[in-house]
Amino acid sequence: MRMTPAVILFGVLALLGSIALVMVYWPYAQQDTTPSEIFRARNAEEAAGRHIYLQNGCVYCHSQAIRPFDWDLGSERIAQAGDYVADEPIQLGSQRTGVDLSQEGGEHPDDWHHAHFINPRYTRPSSVMPPFEWLGTERIRALTRYVQSLGFLQADRRMERQDYWKQESITAYEAGPDANVRWLVEHVPEGWHRVPNPYPTTAAGLQRGQRIYQYFCIGCHGPVGDGMGPAQPWIYPPPLNFTILKGRAISGGILYHQIMNGITGTAMPYFKRDLESQKIWEVGDYVAYYFINQSDANQEPKGIDAAWEP
Amino acid sequence: MSTAEDSISHGNQTAKAFTLTSALWFAFATTFGMIAAGYLVAPDFMANIEYIQFGRMRPMHVNAVLFGFVTPGLLAAAFYYLPRLMKTRLYSEKLGVFSAVFWNLTVAAGMVGVSMGYSQGREYAELPWVVDILVVISFSLVIANFLLTIRRRTEPILYVSIWYAAAAVVLTACTYCLGNVIWKPDTGALAGIPDAILLWFYGHNVFGLLLSPMALGVAYYVLPIATRSPLYSHTLSLLGFWSLIVVYTHIGTHHLLQVPVPTWLKTISIVDSVAMVIPVMVFLINIWYTVKGKLGDVHADIGAKFVFTGTIYYFFVNIQGSMMALPDVQRITHYNNWVVAHAHIGVLGFAGVTALGGLYFILPRITGKPLHSTFLADLQYWLVLIGITGFGIVLTIVGLIQGQAWYNGETLYRTLPEIQPYYITRLSLGILIMTGAYIGLYNVIRSLYFNRGATS
Ligand code: HEC
Ligand code: HEC
Ligand code: HEM
Repeated sequence: MRMTPAVILFGVLALLGSIALVMVYWPYAQQDTTPSEIFRARNAEEAAGRHIYLQNGCVYCHSQAIRPFDWDLGSERIAQAGDYVADEPIQLGSQRTGVDLSQEGGEHPDDWHHAHFINPRYTRPSSVMPPFEWLGTERIRALTRYVQSLGFLQADRRMERQDYWKQESITAYEAGPDANVRWLVEHVPEGWHRVPNPYPTTAAGLQRGQRIYQYFCIGCHGPVGDGMGPAQPWIYPPPLNFTILKGRAISGGILYHQIMNGITGTAMPYFKRDLESQKIWEVGDYVAYYFINQSDANQEPKGIDAAWEP
Repeated sequence: MSTAEDSISHGNQTAKAFTLTSALWFAFATTFGMIAAGYLVAPDFMANIEYIQFGRMRPMHVNAVLFGFVTPGLLAAAFYYLPRLMKTRLYSEKLGVFSAVFWNLTVAAGMVGVSMGYSQGREYAELPWVVDILVVISFSLVIANFLLTIRRRTEPILYVSIWYAAAAVVLTACTYCLGNVIWKPDTGALAGIPDAILLWFYGHNVFGLLLSPMALGVAYYVLPIATRSPLYSHTLSLLGFWSLIVVYTHIGTHHLLQVPVPTWLKTISIVDSVAMVIPVMVFLINIWYTVKGKLGDVHADIGAKFVFTGTIYYFFVNIQGSMMALPDVQRITHYNNWVVAHAHIGVLGFAGVTALGGLYFILPRITGKPLHSTFLADLQYWLVLIGITGFGIVLTIVGLIQGQAWYNGETLYRTLPEIQPYYITRLSLGILIMTGAYIGLYNVIRSLYFNRGATS
């Protein structure tokens, strides 16, 4: 084959043209633009927030597409083409240095996001996300609106739930510590109230509990458990001061349930994905032992002792 | 013809200008990369500085590498070898120097734009619309010079390097317009899933139709000359060229195997990703047989040494890439640092190292004097080699930790403390590469402008 300039230029252009037709134009022409059942349009503030998202390269750390085999945040909904019909440009992302955000809306109340954007380490001590305090309140608010809309109609339902319980929790908090603690525990199913921490307090267990506390809780509840962590100024109701729980019949079971399930409406996140059973019992006991200064560990009823107990 | 006469009969200003461009942006780009890597180690260290924060530094790093360092480096070599292979002179050195200056302004404008927050938010297509236009003009200037040089050639037969260089710039000008949706200045994007398909068609073609063919052109030029051997096979050159154009353009969708794009498109991209072994191995067989038994000559010429090393990375990046396109493998490797390892092996290990080789090969020939320092070039070789191999290993390990953990139900947040030490190792390895880049810049400037060495 003799490679003349014409053969090269027309050859490669003809190939590129025809391949682009098949690989790009054909799927474009054949695309199904029907929105999925969760889709809704974004309002102006959410669109403004999305613009901030584009400008600041959130996409290099956050994907927006859940795969069938994912476990982490948002994994209740597997991505569908119809979720993206209004995304121009689409922000699927290729890296998960951070979590997938496609279903982030309503996972947390707004105050959690505010504290997190000011400095992610306030709410998530081992985070590597950069701080966005420099955006200023206005733009953080817009960005929060966008993030809270991710997941569209499902996000709206979660947000309604957050907003409802936010009001409830504020009312309880403002009624004073007695009312607040009563409110907090009355939503924990009755059975948990009567469950003490079934395992004995050990030095090793407390050590591990402390480590969990430092990786997950310290930014809000603070190094001494008084609720004065660095996130405190942005969070309302503020992080719980554990010391007020003394003498209020807070069982190991209540602590376990609250940590596992979180307290929707408040900034208190659920930890059922991040921590498995042993870690929740041990961080709970760490809180009880050191901060509440009152632990029911290993008291009756505790069932048959577990095989590993010393 | 001795190199001194050579440098006089051709002015070589264009090749010099692109050489300097490449060396300069290599230093900048690695500095950007260091800043980005620094953020992953200590996010509060340079906190709240809008213009350099991670989400802006990363696209600046990537675009500076692609369009500031690697492409100009490969262009420098092309501006050197095109006239020589066609026994003519470059159509216009003035136009060439102008295109190099324009090129620098374009890349700088892109950096400023992204840094100021005008990114279009599409990976590899971030540059704002105005800069997109400048990029297209830059490429057009280069294309004009290439094609007009081809027209005034006195050697009727076009050597394989010319095919690659001409095809690369022409095709990239086209895919750049297409991929950046240049007809929509406001968003520079389509809507929905087709946007992702187009983006990755373009994104992979930056490697497939720009960096790879340009780098192959340099390898096809440098290695036969350095070893004084004829090219092993013309037939393999033909097969390699056409299969590269056909296969590479089909594989972009392998970035989207786990998201809802049409299944037939995924199937094509997987099949063709595996078929990438054809163009790659055909090239490698051709070039490795050409230098067979003459590795001493390769080793003796610092430029050829870089280029040959590049071909070895090309081998690895291809094996790795073909495997990553298999859905079962990608379940573990997608979304994490495995891909970053792959990207660095491809862009720096293969294309970047080849570009450096091209620079060091032509530098003595365009200045008519030996390199300012072969020792420094060798030092740079080892710094880059250790850095990039280390990157490959460390980031692959991180990727496996992340991928396996997530696949087995660990949350991302819990893997963060696990991968922290590797981010620190990566930062340290980055220091080697960045140091190499600055040493290279110094060596290039000395060789070009302050070279007291006798003319050879
Ligand atoms: C350097 C990578 C990086 C960048 C850039 C980044 N993030 Fe993050 N992001 C993370 C990491 C890591 C986490 C997980 C730990 C945490 O919650 O902070 C995270 C978590 C989040 C979460 C909380 C998810 C949850 O519910 O737990 C939100 C919301 C978020 N990021 C939004 C953003 C937005 C919006 C941007 C852009 C303005 C952004 N991120 C930029 C790394 C990043
Ligand atoms: C983002 C801030 C934040 C983080 C992180 C956080 N908490 Fe909380 N926590 C709160 C807030 C806010 C409340 C509820 C305050 C209120 O409504 O008065 C709360 C309440 C609680 C309660 C409820 C006590 C009760 O009597 O019902 C427990 C227990 C608790 N947190 C434990 C933890 C543990 C353990 C961790 C770490 C694994 C943790 N928290 C992490 C903010 C946080
Ligand atoms: C030769 C055959 C190659 C094949 C089959 C291949 C395959 C792949 C695949 C499957 C991915 C996506 C992985 C994922 O997202 O999970 C990928 C990503 C990538 N490839 Fe390759 N690759 C090849 C060569 C190259 C070369 C030569 C380069 C550079 C010169 C390169 C640069 C990249 C880059 C930069 C990415 C990352 C894109 C991102 O940011 O997600 N590849 N490749």
